[in-house]
Amino acid sequence: MAHLAHYKEAHPLPFVITHWINLVAMAILIISGLLIHFPVPISMGIARGLHIFAGIVLVINCLVRVIMAFFVRSAPTAGTRETVKDYKTWLPQKDNRHQGGAWVKYYLFMKKDHPLGAKLGVPQKISYLLIPILIILMGISGLCLWAPTAPSGFCQFFLNLVGGAMSMRIIHYFGMYVFIIFLFIHVHLATAEGNEPVKLMFLRKEHGGLVYDPDKHVIVGEDKMEHLEH
Amino acid sequence: MSEATANFGLVDALEARGISRRSFLKFCGSLAVAAGLSATAAPRVAMALETELENAKGGLFPVLWIEGASCTGCTESFAQIETPDVGKVVLELIALNYSDVLCAGAGHSLEAAKEETIQNGNYVVVYEGGITQGFGSNTLRVAMETGEEILVHAAENAAAVIALGSCAVNGGWMAAYPNPAEATGVSGILKKHSIATPVVNIPGCPANPEWLMSVLVQVLMMGGAEGLLAGDVPAVVKTLGLNDEGKPQGIFGETIHDNCERRGHFENGEFVYEFGSKEEELGYCLYPLGCKGPQTKANCGVTMWNNRRSWCIQAGSPCLGCCEANPNDPGDNWVEVNTPFYKRDRDLHIGDWFFRPTVVAAGLTGIVGAAILIHRFGMKKAGRMDGGADFEPIRAWDAKNPDRSIGQYEYSVMGDPVKMKAAQEEIAKQYEVAEEAAAEDEGR
Ligand code: HEM
Ligand code: HEM
Ligand code: SF4
Ligand code: SF4
Repeated sequence: MAHLAHYKEAHPLPFVITHWINLVAMAILIISGLLIHFPVPISMGIARGLHIFAGIVLVINCLVRVIMAFFVRSAPTAGTRETVKDYKTWLPQKDNRHQGGAWVKYYLFMKKDHPLGAKLGVPQKISYLLIPILIILMGISGLCLWAPTAPSGFCQFFLNLVGGAMSMRIIHYFGMYVFIIFLFIHVHLATAEGNEPVKLMFLRKEHGGLVYDPDKHVIVGEDKMEHLEH
Repeated sequence: MSEATANFGLVDALEARGISRRSFLKFCGSLAVAAGLSATAAPRVAMALETELENAKGGLFPVLWIEGASCTGCTESFAQIETPDVGKVVLELIALNYSDVLCAGAGHSLEAAKEETIQNGNYVVVYEGGITQGFGSNTLRVAMETGEEILVHAAENAAAVIALGSCAVNGGWMAAYPNPAEATGVSGILKKHSIATPVVNIPGCPANPEWLMSVLVQVLMMGGAEGLLAGDVPAVVKTLGLNDEGKPQGIFGETIHDNCERRGHFENGEFVYEFGSKEEELGYCLYPLGCKGPQTKANCGVTMWNNRRSWCIQAGSPCLGCCEANPNDPGDNWVEVNTPFYKRDRDLHIGDWFFRPTVVAAGLTGIVGAAILIHRFGMKKAGRMDGGADFEPIRAWDAKNPDRSIGQYEYSVMGDPVKMKAAQEEIAKQYEVAEEAAAEDEGR
């Protein structure tokens, strides 16, 4: 029994919803994107329609998620019901300070015990910070390929920057693999220490564990949540 | 020369060459289409042509057709149109004062005629081919002058330069990596020499002759000329509907894919995967064979080729994207961005390093996937899968820097079973209190 308690406050409902939308939109985008690149004898019209729809949903969802970070409160670490404005948990937190090396060592099996940290370990935090940027880049390159938006000055600027629509197409295609790689790493890290984080993220199912004090930055107890069992 | 022949009408002139009024009108119809109008505009075009020619009485703009570094394919394409060749006749009537390839004259006399035209001003240059700046511009010399000097000299005094063909627009295939001859297009050279003469870009390899005819007719007869004479560049740009890249928007505003006759098959997912297959016979969409139609802007599917007989995709070839040519970027030339022609993928390069996106990207994805798999086994073997390893009692950095410690370890219960037990009981009690309060609430 080593992990911290999993409380709903870590993932308030709005973020659970945006995360679900992320997941579904990404699945549609990758499948339809592959069908656009490697055409098979089924409807291209549907693949493209779904792709552009899911693409726009993904971009809007990403913007909504980032904006909500400034209004919605969430727990700064696992193992506590205290909350702060969510954006603070995206920035470097005191709990994470000096811990980057420890995380790398831990994941490389050069350190036996689990690093103390904030809601997100240092590697996870970095990958989550990159994701909105990547989504926006995919959105821009996608709009540059989309006939209704491609002639706009905005898209023409980016098309000229990369050397034309053909280059943009390949960059967009390349971006898909970057996303797939992120997904591999993300799902691995999210499940590497058991399925409890996933149940909390998707189903809001809480789970007992150690209690962390986000002000004192240490573990101060254990919540067994036995009351839930009877 | 009698009065009657001197004041001949356009239709008479055409009939003298065996061209009926009907084929003249058909020609005007295709000019209208090439210019992005509907074919029903044919009589309007015909009338404009006739009246302008009659009014002008030889006062029309002369045209100089100059060869740069070219294969003369655009000239060939223009000259190879089957008889009766309406376009060529009209162009002859306009005043084609100089053409390396088409003119009967040659040598000093032709060069002198060209120089005279330049000195007189108010002429239009049709420039075919790229400009090679490498090797001191010496890869092309005509009458002792380099291609670059010839263009600069002819352009300075011209009312407009029509850059004909993808090579003239941005260097075309000559500008493909590594571009040893430093090829570029007309716009690039004029910019380099700060020449403000307006440039009309008509890409294509070769450029469709009807596009040229349509632009010439508009420049010379349908109002564009007045703008040019007045030095009113915005008026010319407006007459021709030029876009940011100096291309007539009516011709180069939509993609091949937008006007493709196989588009229905594309939407239905009916594709040709192999030449010579049944699907090819059925006329399915050529997308999997590398068709560049979705990324290429030109109205080939509307104007078509060889007097509207057929065009690439109707003839069974995927579009190679020969009209891709960004005048501001020789690297964005159709050969570099569209090869391999028959593949959906293209090579990417960062500097001198070339790679296939699918190979590199799928390879990277595979490596990361394998690394994660190994890592998962490691996590399992280390017993971390079930909740992770036990927490460190103190951060390594804090242990080394107790005076600046992040954690306040006097409150920590880690590694102290007595404190831990007390804390656990404290938290459990909070739940009991809460439950009792809830039960009381219900009881009331
Ligand atoms: C992470 C998300 C995304 C992935 C994995 C993805 C993947 C792909 C792939 C593989 C292609 C095929 C490229 C080709 O070979 O031509 C494609 C095309 C395209 N994508 Fe995306 N894409 C994503 C996001 C977006 C977004 C956000 C938009 C728009 C807002 C978008 C719009 C498009 C368009 C318009 C095309 C061209 C479709 C066509 O040719 O008809 N994509 N995408
Ligand atoms: C491509 C789709 C996905 C994207 C873009 C994505 C993105 C994110 C982001 C940005 C977060 C940060 C927290 C937040 O937004 O509130 C997060 C958290 C999380 N994601 Fe995903 N995710 C995706 C798919 C998945 C999948 C497939 C799983 C599980 C199998 C998963 C499991 C989790 C978990 C458990 C967390 C919480 C992590 C923690 O707090 O330690 N995600 N995800
Ligand atoms: S053949 Fe080419 S241009 Fe025509 S529909 Fe197919 S992909 Fe588009
Ligand atoms: S269809 Fe494509 S390859 Fe053929 S002429 Fe037009 S742009 Fe060039």
